[in-house]
Amino acid sequence: MTIEAATPLLTTWATDTAQPEPGRLDAVVPRENLLAAVQSLVDARWGYLAAITGLDQGVEAGMFEVLYHFCSEAAVVTLRVPVPRDDARVPSVYAIIPSVSFYERELMEMFGIEVEGTPNSDRLFLPDDWPAGVYPLRKDFEMKDAGADHAG
Amino acid sequence: MNNPLENTWQSVMDQLKTWARINSPWAIHFNSGSCNGCDIEILATLTPRYDMERFGVKLQGSPRHADILICTGPVTRQARERLIRIYEQMPEPKFVVAVGSCALTGGAFQGCYNVMGGIDQVIPVDAYIPGCPPRPEAIIDGLVKLLGSLKADGALEQASEPPLVASVLEPSS
Repeated sequence: MTIEAATPLLTTWATDTAQPEPGRLDAVVPRENLLAAVQSLVDARWGYLAAITGLDQGVEAGMFEVLYHFCSEAAVVTLRVPVPRDDARVPSVYAIIPSVSFYERELMEMFGIEVEGTPNSDRLFLPDDWPAGVYPLRKDFEMKDAGADHAG
Repeated sequence: MNNPLENTWQSVMDQLKTWARINSPWAIHFNSGSCNGCDIEILATLTPRYDMERFGVKLQGSPRHADILICTGPVTRQARERLIRIYEQMPEPKFVVAVGSCALTGGAFQGCYNVMGGIDQVIPVDAYIPGCPPRPEAIIDGLVKLLGSLKADGALEQASEPPLVASVLEPSS
């Protein structure tokens, strides 16, 4: 399926779309519309969810972005969900796509974004003795927060 | 008061022990979080083409049977306790060989949140083999230098040598 097939599915839910490269579509989807947007892509069987990544736009910008990458052959559709830094939560798409559990666990432990409704919120990659409340992939992460014995 | 014959016997026994240990250094290999590139090169060194076994190096499964720990990888936080435990299980005299740039300083992952940054942050290292990954010739060069230094001044009794660095570019002595 192509980008042209995906665009009409998302126009209802996205506030902004862009094509940074041929074959890629970036759609900015507000948090409230995320589940509906994912549901419309899944109902139309447009590709598969390849990854969920987090993006920290910096402390001054005060925003995170959660990116949901859907791939269909060579075409990639990315749903960008802006999340304010002081209200970092996003709904879980587990009910639509059960395999997102690992991605959402990684998002929670690396950025501290609360994914609401995901069944398992255990740590995935970080070691068991990693201090709670320290999120390594945030831009304001400091190595000294990670523990005294950490040479780095 | 030492009987001179006893001294001769003692030194002969020491030389015999040193000779035996240098000529059959059994190794154990540990990956402390590497990408496996260096592990593949180590395994290639053990195959008949490069043949580390002609130096007597035999790959063992258990650290309790090993003299040399060949270690790759920047030590990740999860691997750190395991590496220390394996090192402590090896009987003295033991030597550690760090293979690859990640094992030397953390390599491409230096400064990452989950990495200690090189094996010598965790256990004492005797030989460093740089490369990403080092060629099997460089691994052999490093091991031969380690064994040669043991022979040179009986350092098996007190392992306080400065570390050795292997290089394929240097002519081997």
